[in-house]
Amino acid sequence: MKTSAIPDHAIPLSAEEAAAMEQRQIKKHHIAIMLLHWFNALVWVLELTTGLALVSSPHFRVVPLWFTDLVQGLFGPRANLLRAHLVIGFTWVIVFLSYGLFGGKTYLAKEVLQKEIALDQDDLQWLRIRVLGILGRSKEPLPPQGIYNAGQKLFALMVYVMLPIIMFTGLIMAFHWFGTAVVGWAVLIHFASVGVVVCGLIVHVYMGAVFPEEKPAFFSMVTGTVNELFAYSHHFKWWREVKLEDAVWMRQRRNADREDDPVEGVSRPDQNASQPRS
Amino acid sequence: MKKTVTRRGFLGSVGVVGLAGATGLARPLKAQALPTGWRGTRRVKKIATICEMCFWRCGVLASVADGRVLRVEGNPDHPMTQGRLCARGNAGTGLLYDRDRLKWPLMRIGNRGEGKFKRVTWDEALDFLANKLKNLKQEHGPESVAFFPHGVSASFFHTLLKAYGTPNSAEPAFAQCRGPREVGYALTFGKGLGSPEPVDLEEAKLMVLIGSHLGENVFTSQITAFAKGLSRGAKLLVVDPRFSTAAEKADWWLPIRPGTDLALLLAWIHVLIGEGLYDQDYIRKYADGFAELAAHVKPFTPEWAEGITQLPAAQIRDTARAMGQAKPAVVVHPGRHATWYGDDTQRSRAMAILTALLGSWGRKGGIFLPTSIPRGGFEVPDFPEAAKGRADGAGTTFPLGSKELGITNGLVAATLTSKPYPIKAWIVYGQNVLQSIPQPERTLKAIDSLDLLVVVDVMPVDQILYADLVLPEATYLERYDTPTIAESAKEPYIAVRFPACDPMYESKPGWWIAKQMAVRLGLEAFFPWASPEEHLAGITEPMELNLAELRARGAHKFPGHPYLEDREAAGEPLFETENGKIHLYSKKLKDLGFDPLPRYTPVEDPPTGYFRLIYGRAPVHSFARTENNEMLHALMPENEVWLATQAAQALGMKDGQKVLLENSDGTKSLPIRLKVTEGIRSDCVYVVHGFGQRSRMLTRAGGKGASDTDLMSRVKVDPVMGGTGMRVNFVRPISLLSQN
Amino acid sequence: MTRYAMVTDLRKCVACQACTASCNAEWEVPAGYSRTQIKKTPIQGTFPKLLAGNLVAQCAHCDDAPCIPACPSAATYRDSKGIVQVDREACIGCGYCVEACPYDARFINPTLKKVDKCDFCAPRLERGQLPACVTTCPANAKFFGDLDDRSSDVFRMVFTEGAHRRETPEVAVGPNVYYLGRAEQVEMVLANYPPRPSRLPVAGTLWKKMAKPLVIGAVAMTFLGQAAAFFHQLRNGEKEHED
Repeated sequence: MKTSAIPDHAIPLSAEEAAAMEQRQIKKHHIAIMLLHWFNALVWVLELTTGLALVSSPHFRVVPLWFTDLVQGLFGPRANLLRAHLVIGFTWVIVFLSYGLFGGKTYLAKEVLQKEIALDQDDLQWLRIRVLGILGRSKEPLPPQGIYNAGQKLFALMVYVMLPIIMFTGLIMAFHWFGTAVVGWAVLIHFASVGVVVCGLIVHVYMGAVFPEEKPAFFSMVTGTVNELFAYSHHFKWWREVKLEDAVWMRQRRNADREDDPVEGVSRPDQNASQPRS
Repeated sequence: MKKTVTRRGFLGSVGVVGLAGATGLARPLKAQALPTGWRGTRRVKKIATICEMCFWRCGVLASVADGRVLRVEGNPDHPMTQGRLCARGNAGTGLLYDRDRLKWPLMRIGNRGEGKFKRVTWDEALDFLANKLKNLKQEHGPESVAFFPHGVSASFFHTLLKAYGTPNSAEPAFAQCRGPREVGYALTFGKGLGSPEPVDLEEAKLMVLIGSHLGENVFTSQITAFAKGLSRGAKLLVVDPRFSTAAEKADWWLPIRPGTDLALLLAWIHVLIGEGLYDQDYIRKYADGFAELAAHVKPFTPEWAEGITQLPAAQIRDTARAMGQAKPAVVVHPGRHATWYGDDTQRSRAMAILTALLGSWGRKGGIFLPTSIPRGGFEVPDFPEAAKGRADGAGTTFPLGSKELGITNGLVAATLTSKPYPIKAWIVYGQNVLQSIPQPERTLKAIDSLDLLVVVDVMPVDQILYADLVLPEATYLERYDTPTIAESAKEPYIAVRFPACDPMYESKPGWWIAKQMAVRLGLEAFFPWASPEEHLAGITEPMELNLAELRARGAHKFPGHPYLEDREAAGEPLFETENGKIHLYSKKLKDLGFDPLPRYTPVEDPPTGYFRLIYGRAPVHSFARTENNEMLHALMPENEVWLATQAAQALGMKDGQKVLLENSDGTKSLPIRLKVTEGIRSDCVYVVHGFGQRSRMLTRAGGKGASDTDLMSRVKVDPVMGGTGMRVNFVRPISLLSQN
Repeated sequence: MTRYAMVTDLRKCVACQACTASCNAEWEVPAGYSRTQIKKTPIQGTFPKLLAGNLVAQCAHCDDAPCIPACPSAATYRDSKGIVQVDREACIGCGYCVEACPYDARFINPTLKKVDKCDFCAPRLERGQLPACVTTCPANAKFFGDLDDRSSDVFRMVFTEGAHRRETPEVAVGPNVYYLGRAEQVEMVLANYPPRPSRLPVAGTLWKKMAKPLVIGAVAMTFLGQAAAFFHQLRNGEKEHED
């Protein structure tokens, strides 16, 4: 496809074009990302269950007693419940630290974070229109989104901030770091942060697993790919980037003996620091 | 040790059992003998031994695992202790594992007082000491060596030094502590009280404490008896210028003017005799000198006493009548530390007379009688005669001074004056001469003049800094000692001390040090036993005990005969006086030129702006021994000085403020916190003894609190027995901000 | 039913600290801390009419212990014998219970980094022994037993001899450590050392009063919001996005 043929905004497609697009898959998530996502999900479920069951005394409990009794019953002596919570928690911390240490350059690079978490003008508009739209107050079209829409970006941002807090306060409580007063504050912060993430999770799980429109997004976390039509309609900016790169790559293959003539504004695939795409 | 059994006889009589016992004891005891138990949630071995955190010698169990003592608790099988134990006893591990303990033999390399030492081996140390002692004997005679002992292990050193040939030995227990009462009661009843004093508190109907501050002065079994007596409804009468713990519980608290107790006692005797409230049968049967006594006390009315003691005459009368009503089950507690004002023998005599008048000597609820236990010994040569006599004045300058316990201040004086002859060396064992003997500047001067100062101790207390040779003794938890044979108990007993663990660092038990010295001095014949087990076997031979069981349980009791009726039934003499009667009037004192009946001698009032310094004990510390103990230091890191609210207001001082105490000779103490309280008279201040230690080698205790001893530049010496009356010093508090 | 209780006879107690030292030695409490406390009252009155006494205090294993609900990891609980215990493995040493105790009977053990307090020597009780403080007391001033046993000393002392509880009208949590003594003296001692109101540290109060209701509210609202959206979606049918 000629680069000039790549539209710069989402134009309406013909039925044949749309059908054809729906058949094609674009790679969205690297395998590491998918593994980490499901690892997170599992750990969250386990930690949340054990954690909520641990906090069973009247001033602190947020779930009904039958829940704490049930879970505690499953684990036997009380200490086992805490041990389970700690072991799973430590594993999580270690995985995240490894991820940060070894994959830091790849996954935490400025360009990556900008693309995947930073909110631009389109994102802010999207948020405004989406919220008003749910309330029935707006019928404006949504602005184009990057690889992740604004809602997903918000969630990621919250997780990036909350998770280290939860882990750090968890470690403070586990090892009694910095003295009793700090441990006492860690309790409050740990519990409150978990509460915030749970709110986010409710939306995230709904959007990911229940909301039909986003079904391709859910499957992308299992297969690693989305169909091109979904990408075009929901993440146009990202669709466009992929297409431009493909065009460059195609031209390079065709004109292998000719001098490289990079299309302005598009970086070559092998110079793309964000490959593999996340 | 008595020479009652010949070696052949000893082996013969003990026979097979003895041999089996001896060989059995030479090897580690078999499994059945070492009881096991728990400490916390851990299984441990429990080793029975005797505490030495103070001198009461309670029976304790050390919980041992992997060679470490994890804790010390009361021994339930000990007849006196029965499983109870005071705070100091429970803190035994704090001494055993004190990081500041003396660890190796040390020899001084700097000046006296600098505390600079080099470490030497035991051989070097003991060879050095042996040479010194040999030279001193040759040049100046063995009497030039003075011995300052205290504690159970001292017996081995006593033997050593008596064999060496010196008659000069003195422990503070006599001239700084209970000497006056031993002499006063011996003059009256024929025999002193001994220690522990045989007070039948649990059976008493009335307990009279004169200066005695039971509850702050804690000896486990005496507190047990005290509390038992109270719970059975005994009344309590406390005579004390300070509102002590005992006073808190008292039915009568008499805040007496310090120094006037004799006047009160005489007035009480006056009332008892005048109103016929004394035990007339008892006196008629058992005592002589009553007529002289009655005539003597005629002028000593409660009104007369009121003018002196500042106690209302009515109160004096009431309390005398209460005693009369409760007799004979009245304990007039003889006190322990009795060296107060220099007339202390006479005051003790008055207390003994009072006791006799109440008919309580040898009676239930009064003072009970000791029961003797047969003990064995070893055949040893005769001790050499001390040709030049004693230097401390016992028996001479101070006619009734104890030749057994000695007069410490007498030895200090002899060292300073070289009269009757020069004293060139001091060997100090388990005594803290700078804290226990008043006028420490004199003691230091005396030390300065010595050729040799040897200190055998466990902790690096102040006197270490001045020693030429320091020998580290093992703590009581790490050593064997002569068994305690307690005859002053309603059921007398023997208790043993065996190590609960190996000595730490290079510390050695006292018996080993003494024996090693004996070998070097050619005096092995005086130590004819090879091991602690053999020593114990020799001492206990006539008691016919199963030694393995004794070791496992820690103690064994015998039936007791604590009351007069027991002696009457057995046909034994009731009183150890020469005519078998209680001497209310003391002809002996008369013959020596002293008052045969006690007379009140006035005490001076403190000069304006000054307060009389009185002192006492705290339940978590023993004298100056325990202040560095980690556990006990945490409970009481320093002492305070009690000052009456009125006096503090007049001085513009506040509770909790730090002050210096300055005595009338200008000596200043280390800083000490003020306790401003209603609970003390305005003419005196009170501190707990044992603080203000200056040795920085005591990393916890050094520099904490103030020392009362430092402020005792004056003493009033009791002419009868040489005791140093120490409550004759006046101090004033100086705010730390304004020192002139 | 077993209801353990302790009674101290203040007429006999001389505040000698044997109990403190014995407890510390038995349970390896670091120097400077202790599970029991002896507090001497200031001397009251004017010379020479004076009154003084002392308190012997430790965890009172209260009927209505305010430390139990205060623990975020529910590590502290009451066992079947009435002893308030701490499960050391569940304790994180946050100190909330220390603030919650009206008698200041708890402390954070610096070696264990967890809370420490009297547990009536539970391991000793299981072996048929008495608590260490009761055994060691030279004055035999401490008594321990089962209030449900009518033949016990503590039953007699509490129900017939009028042993006092250290309570005020404001703070009455049912402590099971009682005091006997001369009426005037006991009342004076207890008046000098009343229990303080139970409280939580700021972090704990913030959770209990603010953060917890906020979190529950937020989660509930999010859930309800999502549920509403879900039903809305169900009603309007599945709609794959078309463009």
